[in-house]
Amino acid sequence: MTAAYLTKRLLLVVYTLLIVSLLVFAITQLLPADAAVTLLGQSATPEALAALRARLGLDQPAWLQFGHWLMAVLHGDLGTSMRNGLPVLGSLVDALGRSLLLAGCSLLLMLLVAIPLGIVAAVRRGRPVDLIIAMLSYIGVSLPEFVTATLLILLFADVWQLLPATGYVPLSENFVEGLRHLILPTLTVSMIMVAHVSRMVRSEMIDVLETDYIRAARLKGLSRRRVLLRHALRNGLLPTITIVALDVGYLLGGIVVVEEIFNIPGIGRELLVAVAARDLPAIQGGVLILAATYCVVNFVADLAYAYLDRRIQYA
Amino acid sequence: MPISIGEFNMRDIFYRLLASPQGLLGSLILLLAVVLVVAGPALAPFDPEAISILARYKAPSLLHWLGTDQLGRDILSRLLIGARATISLSVLATVLAMLLGALLGTASGYLGGRIDEALMRTLDAVMSIPSLLFALLIVSTLGKSDFNAVLAITIAFVPGMARIARSVALAARRQDYVNAAIARGESAAYIVVREMLPNIVAPIIVEATIRVAFAIMLFATLSFLGLGAQPPQPEWGLMVAEARRYFFQAPWMMLMPGLAIAIIAIGFNLLGDGLRDALNPKGQRS
Amino acid sequence: MTAVLQVADYSLDYELPSGALHVLQNIDFSVGAGEVLGLVGESGSGKTTLGWAIMRYLAGNAREVGGSISLQGENLLAMPQRQVESLRGGRLGMIFQDPSASLNPTLSLGEQVVEVLTRHRDLGYRDAWALGEQLLADVDLKDPAAMMKRFPHEASGGEKQRVLIATAFACRPQCLIFDEPTTALDVISSAQILQLFRRLREETGVASLYISHDLALVSRVADRVCVLNQGRIVEQNRGGRIFTAPNDAYTQRLVAAVPAADKRLLNETEAGGVPLLQVAALNVRYGQPSLLDSLLRRDRQPSMGARDMTLGMARGEILGIIGESGSGKSTLAKALTGLTPFTGAVQFDGVKIHGPAQMTRDYRRKVQIIFQHPDASLNPRQTIGQILSRPLRLYGLPAGESEAQAIARLLREVRLPENFASRYPHELSGGQKQRVAIARAFAARPELVICDEITAALDVSVQATVIELLLELRRQHGTAYLFITHDLNLIRQIAHRIAVMYRGDLLEILPAVDMAAHARHPYTRALLDAVPQPLTELEQLDDA
Repeated sequence: MTAAYLTKRLLLVVYTLLIVSLLVFAITQLLPADAAVTLLGQSATPEALAALRARLGLDQPAWLQFGHWLMAVLHGDLGTSMRNGLPVLGSLVDALGRSLLLAGCSLLLMLLVAIPLGIVAAVRRGRPVDLIIAMLSYIGVSLPEFVTATLLILLFADVWQLLPATGYVPLSENFVEGLRHLILPTLTVSMIMVAHVSRMVRSEMIDVLETDYIRAARLKGLSRRRVLLRHALRNGLLPTITIVALDVGYLLGGIVVVEEIFNIPGIGRELLVAVAARDLPAIQGGVLILAATYCVVNFVADLAYAYLDRRIQYA
Repeated sequence: MPISIGEFNMRDIFYRLLASPQGLLGSLILLLAVVLVVAGPALAPFDPEAISILARYKAPSLLHWLGTDQLGRDILSRLLIGARATISLSVLATVLAMLLGALLGTASGYLGGRIDEALMRTLDAVMSIPSLLFALLIVSTLGKSDFNAVLAITIAFVPGMARIARSVALAARRQDYVNAAIARGESAAYIVVREMLPNIVAPIIVEATIRVAFAIMLFATLSFLGLGAQPPQPEWGLMVAEARRYFFQAPWMMLMPGLAIAIIAIGFNLLGDGLRDALNPKGQRS
Repeated sequence: MTAVLQVADYSLDYELPSGALHVLQNIDFSVGAGEVLGLVGESGSGKTTLGWAIMRYLAGNAREVGGSISLQGENLLAMPQRQVESLRGGRLGMIFQDPSASLNPTLSLGEQVVEVLTRHRDLGYRDAWALGEQLLADVDLKDPAAMMKRFPHEASGGEKQRVLIATAFACRPQCLIFDEPTTALDVISSAQILQLFRRLREETGVASLYISHDLALVSRVADRVCVLNQGRIVEQNRGGRIFTAPNDAYTQRLVAAVPAADKRLLNETEAGGVPLLQVAALNVRYGQPSLLDSLLRRDRQPSMGARDMTLGMARGEILGIIGESGSGKSTLAKALTGLTPFTGAVQFDGVKIHGPAQMTRDYRRKVQIIFQHPDASLNPRQTIGQILSRPLRLYGLPAGESEAQAIARLLREVRLPENFASRYPHELSGGQKQRVAIARAFAARPELVICDEITAALDVSVQATVIELLLELRRQHGTAYLFITHDLNLIRQIAHRIAVMYRGDLLEILPAVDMAAHARHPYTRALLDAVPQPLTELEQLDDA
């Protein structure tokens, strides 16, 4: 991997984060007609409004406001929450940890299930197995998280009484209980991704299996198994990295809903609470952190892909 | 508009669509969706707002096909009315995003060079904010309403549609018939509209159809979170949210709207796949 | 001589929803040890399908209707799949058309050589790797050790094909099937490959089946030639005889269509006319640095599409441009039609042009271009009539004709039925589409038509009709042609002069007749030596 390629990708990440922060700032702070009135209400006194405006820096030109804000962010200061006066970054970091745990488990589950499903569907294309997987995928990809969660809770917590309905137990406190509380949320979050990724994997694998070099490998006398494992999988799964990385964005959105339903104190739920309370700094901080996470994930995926496929850099 | 658009006419596409299982099922569900949106209120057996203390928490029965909710309102009737909000608003958001995105993407693809690169990098950056979070952002500052939710979804979808439109436009741009037009000295407007656009329309429509499914789910999710349609609108996602409290007593209150969302979303997904196969005449794999 | 490969009365069908398609019918031939049998056919003849059928690689809907395929007496049709798999690549091998497409891009060349050797030679990994390096050295590849570690995209087409051939031979095959092995390579690499093939064949005595569409080439490579037409063998004979005394009607048509340098189709040797086009010091630069590269100030060396080109054409002249891919020949075409910016001076019909911006409508009318791929050069969403109407609307109708009349006339001139005007491109064959493209060019009443490899994607018999049409149109209208191609035999038949290009440079311009006598540049000479001419009976296949 050349230094030039790395630099190029890094510059892109920086640019992306810049645009993201600009968007977050613009939407939350510039759009509302008068944030001060919104926050203090119609009946606030003019002096109070003026004081709040000055405090929030609303009387300054837009680009200056953005500059100040960005500077603060880069120094790790995401502002203080309007609800409890605590620094936003601090309270969000803990929550982020819990969300990442949920996200990580979901990602792992998804990879373990979706990839084999996709490969099987591709290799057994047109046969009953393929059709069944296709049907399940259509269903899986069309169920919003809150519907899936409802059904799962109904089944596992209500009817069969196997798992707890909601709640969160830190793994450090009680590993088994913590795990039990994680199962349903993980299943919910990963279901859509499993459906989507398995179809993508199937489609990629089918494309690979129809290439000339796979045919050539077979005609050179290599066994079906060898051709699949050594040639087809390598090339077919490589794009999976990109697909999964893109789906992480969807994952992060899904986490918000799932944390709300299952009452998990992650960053998603914090965000929703902030939105309900119109806590601007917390909203900004939450979205920024999540978007930045997504950027980093995509960056890592890009590098991994480039490392594994040397051709990309020369394209 | 002539009936024929190129390689085959509408009738052929239609038949081909209905020949595949996805296309058939998708079309049927689409038909159902249209009926719901157009005639929903007329078909409702009960007044969706009618509160009846005596009929609360009734399970699905012959009288109330899908049961009643905590206020005794007939769920089927509420679903039929709510279809308008859920389906048509999602379709609206997707269509708007498709038009804007297609314009942006095609122009960028045609112009090429640095403008194209800068625009695409910026759109990629915008796409770094997951759709739901983007919608959250917009709704939290503009206020909670179904209109703002539609706006949020539209803006969130534009970059994705623009990217698709651009890649299709680039593929069309590379074809020699575009080169032939340039060599003839045709104007840019002619080339984009008459040479490129007819070849771009099909893949974009396929993508938009699939996106509608996603829009429906997103809209319902926003309403579920209280950020989209507001009570007492019978929007499906909102119905699920309100029904959460009564989940263990009357699970059908949550299940029915949830299933409705799922069925319509599945329908659009199937339709999109069916359209993709039907519009691609050389799609037969050897 | 006992046959190594024997195909006896073999027939193959494809089961389609509309009925059975007879792909191969009563195929009957044999190949002995050390012998090369050529299999020649155009697209749709079934030649590739036959090759795959011998390798027992059949489509899901293929039905073998009858006959047998035997290797050393063993009937392959009766063999269990497992045994067939051990045969493939070992006793029965295949060399494919495009070495770039038949190698896995994510594995190194060495890995792909080793896996075949371990499979068929019972060697361990290290021994196989060592053998691989030795094989590469045997086929004269520079630095075998480094080449083994390279990835396919880091080696040239000729190098890869040599690796593949060496590997196939190393597995001690009894019979090898060559499926158009040189089609994707440049002429000079092709000649080298064929020499390598001859040498290895003589060393090992392998029986070879050589499949190709190029009759001239096959006649020089094979001992005997089978001509395949729509699934049937219509003629089987020695290469020289096929050319001098073909028996079957189809073969006769095919032989007549094959370009040969000594079969002039144009009676004139020099174009005597006023100068039409003058190009001086034309330079085309490819590769715009991207935004980020400019930011990082990285020096991306621009690749030159064409360097300092200088040439001139007279009215009504046919100037050929010959070169391999990457030679820059298409670049000239793009520059002259305003598809790519250039520096230098172009003077056309007295008007000076320095860039695409200066090309007036009049210029664009007089200079028309026809592209290589008929599928891509006609908008699939427009009818033939709509396609032909564009130049008429842009440049004006000829006096006294309505648009419909003009379109009908154009179709007649290119020998297409008038009712094609309402059809869509996908309803036409490749040759017919190309004729529409020609009609479109002539709708403008041009003075120069640039033909950019316009017959490269067509079968040789279709190519012959298109060339004949072009020459007829020139007789009628006095148009000049800038004919770009990689087929030296073809251009020697129809051009007044030929310009030779290599890697962006114009090497020399020679008269088409007696080209060999005037050729001075070593590349031109190498090209002339490498291009195969059809074998005549008087010549034997010697060891030249």
